[in-house]
Amino acid sequence: MTDHYDVAIVGGGPAGQAAALTLDDLKLKTVVIDEQPQAGGQILRQPPQSFRIPGWMEDRTYAPLVELLRRFEARTSIHWIGSHSVIGLRREPDGLFALTICSPDGLRSITAARVLIAAGCQDLAVPLPGWTLPGVYSAGGMQALLKAQRIVPGEQIVLAGTHPLQLLIAAQLVEAGGGVAAVLFSQPHGTMLKAGIRNSLRAFDRLSTAFPAVRALATLRKHGVKVLYNAPIQAICGTDRVAAVQHSGGEIACDAVGLCYGFVSQSSLPRMMSAKMRRAGPAGGWATLCDEWMQSSIQGLYVAGETTGVAGANAALASGNIAGFGIGAELGAISRDEAARRVARHRANRRSLLRFARLLDEIADPRPFFPALRDDTLVCRCEDVAFAQIGPVLDGRSANAVKLVTRCGMGLCQGRNCEPTLLRLLDNPNDPGFTARFPARPVPISDLAT
Amino acid sequence: MGGGLIGCATAWRLAREGAKVTVLDSGDFGMGASGQNAGSLHFQLERRFLENGDALAEQATRTAALNRLAISDWSSLEADLATNLHITMNGGLMVAETAEECALLELKIARENAEGLRTRMIDGHEARQIAPYLSEAICAAGYSPDEGHADARLVTHAIAIAADKTGALLRPRCRVQSIRRVCREYVVRTAAEQFAASQILIACGAWTAHVAAMLNLHVPLFPVGLLMNATERVAQVVPHLVQHVGRRLSMKQTHSGNLLIGGGWPSRMALDAEGRFTLYRPPAVIEASLRGNLRVAIDVAPMVATINLVRSWTGITAISADQLPIVGEIPAMPGCWVAGGGSAFTLGPTFARLIAQSMSGTKCEELEIVAPSRFAHLNSFMGQ
Repeated sequence: MTDHYDVAIVGGGPAGQAAALTLDDLKLKTVVIDEQPQAGGQILRQPPQSFRIPGWMEDRTYAPLVELLRRFEARTSIHWIGSHSVIGLRREPDGLFALTICSPDGLRSITAARVLIAAGCQDLAVPLPGWTLPGVYSAGGMQALLKAQRIVPGEQIVLAGTHPLQLLIAAQLVEAGGGVAAVLFSQPHGTMLKAGIRNSLRAFDRLSTAFPAVRALATLRKHGVKVLYNAPIQAICGTDRVAAVQHSGGEIACDAVGLCYGFVSQSSLPRMMSAKMRRAGPAGGWATLCDEWMQSSIQGLYVAGETTGVAGANAALASGNIAGFGIGAELGAISRDEAARRVARHRANRRSLLRFARLLDEIADPRPFFPALRDDTLVCRCEDVAFAQIGPVLDGRSANAVKLVTRCGMGLCQGRNCEPTLLRLLDNPNDPGFTARFPARPVPISDLAT
Repeated sequence: MGGGLIGCATAWRLAREGAKVTVLDSGDFGMGASGQNAGSLHFQLERRFLENGDALAEQATRTAALNRLAISDWSSLEADLATNLHITMNGGLMVAETAEECALLELKIARENAEGLRTRMIDGHEARQIAPYLSEAICAAGYSPDEGHADARLVTHAIAIAADKTGALLRPRCRVQSIRRVCREYVVRTAAEQFAASQILIACGAWTAHVAAMLNLHVPLFPVGLLMNATERVAQVVPHLVQHVGRRLSMKQTHSGNLLIGGGWPSRMALDAEGRFTLYRPPAVIEASLRGNLRVAIDVAPMVATINLVRSWTGITAISADQLPIVGEIPAMPGCWVAGGGSAFTLGPTFARLIAQSMSGTKCEELEIVAPSRFAHLNSFMGQ
């Protein structure tokens, strides 16, 4: 038995919530599928329902997003499927989209006339000597532990990279009682400042969005946390777990490291559908191309939020609204003219937020600061493929060809983590990257067999 | 033309004998069916030849001589190349679950033995002694001691390196734009270069018919989209090649630990804007194929059920109008050789060796069964 919907939305973050509310207002039968049990996305990653966290997401930066989440959760006419991964997306010969979704309880299939992918982003994985030692996290992973479980993963944490978000995460860690030994920026302070000034005019209307970083700096100063610039991390040391980081200016003892070089869009589902993609911002990864209604190159397949390029939660919210009206108009639930009137303010809002996102991209540009790889540095940690194995086949061949002979990208993560590194090493702007394959997440064979 | 297993291995053989050879491919070498197939070395008569009547089975049986050569070619390939290709020949089992399938196995094995292949019938008990992972439902198996698998990821890559070292000129990412026949020579043009050759080989898998069209020739090879599945890496449990005589299954475990599960289940070929099959987009997974394929795997080896699937991939191979490979010189076009059409991994090194030998002037009777001359009528009004 296959459930059918007018619209299936992949991802319950701000983009998915905004689109679902719009579509539900238009009386379209809508389902939202998410890997987390509860809505919120990574930005508002919720603690389990049995947890009580006083002051959860109380910071006023989050207020519009919390308000959206509360409205979404109160809307019982939207069908919510939490704790499920969409592992397959295809178009049936009758034109409907078929989604294969899996959970620990097994597999199910749903069909939908239209699909919106708002699957968010993940931390850019950056290989460097020692990065696979226990105790090394992505900074976003640390933040997820903190938001959802109140876990502080160390007492002497070092955050390192190029993205200013590490200031916020460091501040959240110390406010939650964690110990942060240092925050290391690879780039000089001046570079960040200059990029900020150069772009301040075009991003002028959004400079207030940068205030949380200023507040975070104050918090870190109050707690005596060192923030170093021009201190690119070179290696992580330790025998069976993290003990220290080496940066250009010395060594810092620590018990956990959070790497923060930026974020890359989740792209496996649009790529599985052969939607047209573009190389995303300086951090790498793939953004799905879309038109002014957020429709991808595949008719009926819409994209919103970070799937279209990493630009933050507020831009995601705006694009979710636009996609909702776009789908509504295509399905005849609202006239195109009326839809255009209703999305005008969301489009204007999104445009200015995208300007700010580009400013942030420039400030956080990791490209000049990627740590040097040693021969034994693992590039693909799923399949234990070291840089020494990849180097000899970097002769102009494609990412798929390197994958074939080295196994780089063949493992459990389907190349999500190593692909940006490999594409960087290949340095060919026309390489389409790994062919996306089913399933987007590993799934037990017994769940799939007839 | 075609930097797959056959193209690279033919070049390697010819260059070793001192011939001047160039290999062209529109993409990277080994990225078509040569690298996408699951690496079976199967020497028992294939199930696909048994499901379409006696005449085909009879004809296919006559390819057994090629299988015997292939066993010997694969046995010496790693030594010849001085490299590890993860070739294992620990034996293969073609299992049966019903009385009807047992009867089919008996017939098949009788045919094979008559052609000198060492296959033998074993009962379910013996099958499980050899392969303890097999289900209680298996009542018999055809056992071939020579079957096994090789790492399809590495074979073409290694042969290309060997061809390069012996002096063959390798041109990956060079699409052939035209082929002209000028007097007794062929002139092959790419965007940047031009090559004159006294003999050419078209071994472009599913693209073979396209390339032959540049010479105004028909080669009746049809593209076929297949499905293969890879599990996560697990401890070594399946040292054999496992096939099924009545259902579509081939299963083996790679050197790295992944179980590869396939067996000829279809995928859906993509269509271009004009509604014709296109070879330039990957075929789509057909859910019923996927589910059916994995079901057979669990029925044959129940331990598969709890392992995670990490990837289903689709690839395009080519099948000929009569299911047998097409390998040899085109009668209407002396000096133009073609090779393709199924079983081309298992038989690839052998085809390459025999083509190289024939191109050098020594006629090979072994290739007669697969010669393109059986389709000569298609080119009665073609060529130049």
